[in-house]
Amino acid sequence: MKLSKVTFSISAREDILELYGKSVDSEGFIIEKDKPSQRVLTPIGEEIQINEWAGIRKGSEAFIKNDAFSLIELAKKLE
Amino acid sequence: MKVLDNLKRIFETKFRDIFTGNTITLLDFSRNTANVIELKEGNKLTIDISKGTEEEKKKLKEEVLDLIVQEQDQVFLMDKSSQKTERIKGNLPTRDDETLLKFYKDKLDPEMYKALEVSFVVKNAFNNGEDIVELKRDIASRYPAFGNNICNLVTGGYFDNHFRDLYNSMIDDEIFDINSYQKKVKNIVCSLPYTVFITRFKSYDELSGEVRFKLNNLKKYGAGRLLLHGIGRENVNTSNSILDEYKDNGAVTIQKEINPKKTIITATLNF
Repeated sequence: MKLSKVTFSISAREDILELYGKSVDSEGFIIEKDKPSQRVLTPIGEEIQINEWAGIRKGSEAFIKNDAFSLIELAKKLE
Repeated sequence: MKVLDNLKRIFETKFRDIFTGNTITLLDFSRNTANVIELKEGNKLTIDISKGTEEEKKKLKEEVLDLIVQEQDQVFLMDKSSQKTERIKGNLPTRDDETLLKFYKDKLDPEMYKALEVSFVVKNAFNNGEDIVELKRDIASRYPAFGNNICNLVTGGYFDNHFRDLYNSMIDDEIFDINSYQKKVKNIVCSLPYTVFITRFKSYDELSGEVRFKLNNLKKYGAGRLLLHGIGRENVNTSNSILDEYKDNGAVTIQKEINPKKTIITATLNF
């Protein structure tokens, strides 16, 4: 696994989420667009707010948080 | 670059001029001023999904994002998160750090262990002269009771020896269970601003002065306790001598815990 050189900026994050069929609820949590009661979970089962969202990696839509605890796990897996 | 080939296929008819004669080396999804794709800063192709047609959006997802993430097994991140991940990767625990982490893995409370691991990244970033504010904030915000303190203790080298020596001293006790070790570590880490570590690397006068200095400061700020912690017979004796300085002080009461072998002391001065 490696980091993609293709990135997105903060201005595009809701557009990216939309491509994945997601949107954001009134509390800022990422949700399934066609099932708003269902919040998106990280691989370790945490709900995730848009302002703490880092991006996505391989898997069944594996959403990653931007905190050091999530990114250290990611960094350990990178080539 | 297959991603670029796919982008060309999606947009070449509409934006032939962008792909002709330009060397594109960077791709970024962000908002553009006018078009779905624009060339910025000479070589950076920016893609604005919001300005794409439904067909273009579908193709961007399937032929660009799915290619990157699912087929090429690349992690697709926001620019700032990508930079943060690179910085973390460059400061992951060293081989020596890993040896220590292995020691603590089955001994510390799992949450404290997680904080310890990230604290090693903070220590390495600090030693490499990098900005550690955001990393420290991440630890402190997840663990407000001890996050900052554990970072400071790791940077100060206390996990290299002190907490390892504490464990090695405690297992010598006849009655030992891992919970008592975890409780003791947590107590010390949480009490860091109110703690003096008694160590043979400082003279008696230095340690006695440090206790007096912290005591006076804590009095000013209303905190009513100071913890003294020492491991090893010599440090237990030093701690006792320092505590003797306060035995006739009516404003200070002392609670003292010493293990049966007299190799660990934890004393609280309440005032």
